[in-house]
Amino acid sequence: MSNQRQASSASQVPHLSPAELSYLYTSLSLPKNPIRPDGRSPTQFRPLSAETTILPGANGSARIGFADGTQAIVGVKAEVEKTVLAADTLDSRSLAQHGDALNREGEQGSAAVSGQGEWVQMSIEIPGFRDDDALPVFLSEMMRESLVGSVAGGNGDGANEMAGGLKGRLVINKRWHWRLYIDVLLLSQPLSYPLPLLSLTTHLALLSTKLPKLKSTGEEDPFFDDDWAVAEYLYPRSNTSKSSLSAAPSHPVRPPVTLLVISVGDNVIFDPNREEIAVADAVLAISITRSSESETLKLLSIRSIDPPSRLTQPGIPNSENVNMLGVSAAPGEESGGQEEVEGVWRPRRGGVKRSVIARMVKTVLGKGGVGEEVLEGLEGVEVQ
Amino acid sequence: MAIIILPPVVEDSRPYEADSDDSMSVDSEEDVEMTGISRPHKRPRLQGNSNIGTGIVTPGEVVTDDPQWMRGHGTYMNPLSTSIIATVAGTVQKTNKLLSVHPMRARYTPEIGDLVVGRIVEVQSRRWKVDVAAPLLAQLPLSAINLPGGILRRRTSADELQIRTFFSEGDLVVAEVQSVHQDGSASLHTRSLKYGKLRNGVFLAVSGTGGSAASSSSVKGGVGVGNSASGSALAAPGGSGTGGVVRSRRQVWTVTAANGGGEMNVVLGVNGYIFISKHDEGADAASSATENVSITRMEEMVSSSIYSSQNDDISPQTRREIARLAQCIQVLVQNGVRVDEETVMGAYNASLQVDLEIGDDEDEEDEWRQEGREYLEGAKAQQILELVKQQL
Repeated sequence: MSNQRQASSASQVPHLSPAELSYLYTSLSLPKNPIRPDGRSPTQFRPLSAETTILPGANGSARIGFADGTQAIVGVKAEVEKTVLAADTLDSRSLAQHGDALNREGEQGSAAVSGQGEWVQMSIEIPGFRDDDALPVFLSEMMRESLVGSVAGGNGDGANEMAGGLKGRLVINKRWHWRLYIDVLLLSQPLSYPLPLLSLTTHLALLSTKLPKLKSTGEEDPFFDDDWAVAEYLYPRSNTSKSSLSAAPSHPVRPPVTLLVISVGDNVIFDPNREEIAVADAVLAISITRSSESETLKLLSIRSIDPPSRLTQPGIPNSENVNMLGVSAAPGEESGGQEEVEGVWRPRRGGVKRSVIARMVKTVLGKGGVGEEVLEGLEGVEVQ
Repeated sequence: MAIIILPPVVEDSRPYEADSDDSMSVDSEEDVEMTGISRPHKRPRLQGNSNIGTGIVTPGEVVTDDPQWMRGHGTYMNPLSTSIIATVAGTVQKTNKLLSVHPMRARYTPEIGDLVVGRIVEVQSRRWKVDVAAPLLAQLPLSAINLPGGILRRRTSADELQIRTFFSEGDLVVAEVQSVHQDGSASLHTRSLKYGKLRNGVFLAVSGTGGSAASSSSVKGGVGVGNSASGSALAAPGGSGTGGVVRSRRQVWTVTAANGGGEMNVVLGVNGYIFISKHDEGADAASSATENVSITRMEEMVSSSIYSSQNDDISPQTRREIARLAQCIQVLVQNGVRVDEETVMGAYNASLQVDLEIGDDEDEEDEWRQEGREYLEGAKAQQILELVKQQL
């Protein structure tokens, strides 16, 4: 357990013997079609079950379970909070207090687009980890970053669009805003790197998040409608008349999704399990979202995760094995040293080729690529 | 299709209805509903007589108050009272007047003569500590392995110094339980040509045999991927969760793979650790040669590969079939079917058959679909299961 905590990324790596690592690596790096230990195709995800709005007390919630038994629950809580204004804005505001409505109008416009990243708070709980351990902190920051950074390019055609992205959506008026608490709970031991699971669950939870309808207008203290049925979705949906055209997605703006992609040799593999991560050349977390004006996907961030394979033990080729020196018929004829010997595990120490990274991104973003399929699949989940 | 998202499997509680009226009344309604749901879950306690032996008890639950019962394994009795309390989660078993609770999952309990697959976790000065999925780590003394260069060689201090060249941390070994200590920990040995380091294949951890040898139905909580009970979200509802490796006549055998995959070795450790590898022709030749070779000479022949960590050349076809066999075992475990030679081979042949049928159906499908077809889940897994169950 203690050495599990030492490295954030390598923490889920089981002890694998060099022979296993070599077998896995060769299988996964077979040109054209890698053989994954569970027989999936490189872009295939493990089947998962999902439901939303499972917590009655939260503004939005979701649960996703993978077939291997890992499950996550995400709850989103929204709270009204007073905006702390910078000193200079305060001054100008007190001056303009008796000013005309026109002046105020302009101010409101400027306030509507600015929001602060700190208004979104994310905490991740993983069994076996303290909340200040590297893994939960790193994961939550990685997911929060893309969430806050996803400024939708919607140029505000109508109040339904999210100007300024999630941050802008949280602004109520100049003095008040919503604060969003996203609590992620992993219900089981992390059997693989939990990022995709947590990200997908957070995505669904945010889609199902509702905020009470605002009754007050302008700079009044906020006052909300009691009726939960008229509450508005945090991520607005296009109204029913529009969505009857089945081609149009029901959500013009969507929360980002972070996908975990690994490369082994020249192959790009999605939704890796623990063993596959253990032999990866590069592990990338790619955050995408759908931009509102175009149908294409937008890349929000790429984070590389320390591939755990570099910490593994190298295998010993037969030619260097002390126990085989006396044997006349040693099969390892190749001389040892630095070069790779077929069938012997060498920890990957180098980087990854640029073309491979480019291919990873292209597979995610491309037309009909994995990113689109994942977003479509998530859209299919009935968000009540 | 890259991703399949299934609706949740609703077991017995009603899902929460979000679209009620206003938020306040949702809360109050929900409170009522919650208590309404949770109550019937609690099974009425078995006060006294008759219906002991139904359902599942949880740790701390009073199994019976009746003083006529004697407490057995998995139960506890407060010295001041006559009630028998369960200490494990499982089913109640009665043997005459003896009441015991049979755990749904238990760790593997080593017994002498068991063939186990283990992973070295620690190297000490004269022995290795091996993870065999038992409550305690097993030990493998340096004196209990075949040293290279002859079975009768004395172990020297040089051997002690280069102990890591035999097995080091992370290595997989197949071994036999030589003795079981007072505290339940095991001592292993690999003094046979069948045992030693594992390579050329994949490892998977499923549930093994827990409890005593007689109880073939009990399940150990799998450490690795094959966590049978936790996979319940997608497991068949009929799955009783009693899968896992059972002690059987043959724990190691060779399979002739389909699709030009050559031959594969399967090692089913009684502890639930499984290793599937390419069949090593070299070892085969060596063992066939043993008949006319003296015993010391034989050791020399085998030791050429016994401590190697270099994989042989394995063809993609073989790798594919190894992956298929591994998945077949996973399907069995996730659906609570016991794992032994008969069921594994049944599942393997069934998966080939299912593949043939599907191959006929969608021959002209595009390439994208063909790629994922080796993944056995959902409908395919069900077909395989049905075919296996027919054979049983």
